[in-house]
Amino acid sequence: MAAVTYPNPVVVRFISETMIPIQVKFDTQPISTDFNVKWTPAIITLDSDGKEHHRTVGFLSPEELIPSLLLGIAKISFDADRFDNALTNLNRLLTEYPESNASSEAIYLRGVCLYKSTHDARPLKEAYEKLNARDPKDEWTKRAYPYRLL
Amino acid sequence: MGDTIQWEGSLEVALRRARVEDKPILLDFFNPG
Repeated sequence: MAAVTYPNPVVVRFISETMIPIQVKFDTQPISTDFNVKWTPAIITLDSDGKEHHRTVGFLSPEELIPSLLLGIAKISFDADRFDNALTNLNRLLTEYPESNASSEAIYLRGVCLYKSTHDARPLKEAYEKLNARDPKDEWTKRAYPYRLL
Repeated sequence: MGDTIQWEGSLEVALRRARVEDKPILLDFFNPG
């Protein structure tokens, strides 16, 4: 991460403009134990109260880190029932990084956000259909499988 | 904005900034090798 991803100018701009970055050595106490860190790189998205909403373990390229962070930011809003804000970040992720690993979960979560904000079930079915068209074997296609019946 | 990420080293400082600037926190645990 330090050699490839974090020096990337697009990553520097995104993080500088969007987040408060903190970097700590893996064995720093008590924070390492508090967050149950067992392997690195561990990249965790927190809200401004310090509550965890999203985590990845392992290397992420610049093209994967930014969408992963956008997903984490969307989850902060989703968990606070701020669906409009969540959708803004999910739509950005899906527009700018449609082929990223985070995009499948973003499609799923987008459908859930639309359902929870409108109580219309069609976005759930549409999320399944979009996921299935992309990759029937994808983890998030399988998670959305029941929505095909809506 | 510089050409490198300006990392905080303290969660307390990061939390204070996050509240003031209304931003989420990126917490990176690394192994310096």
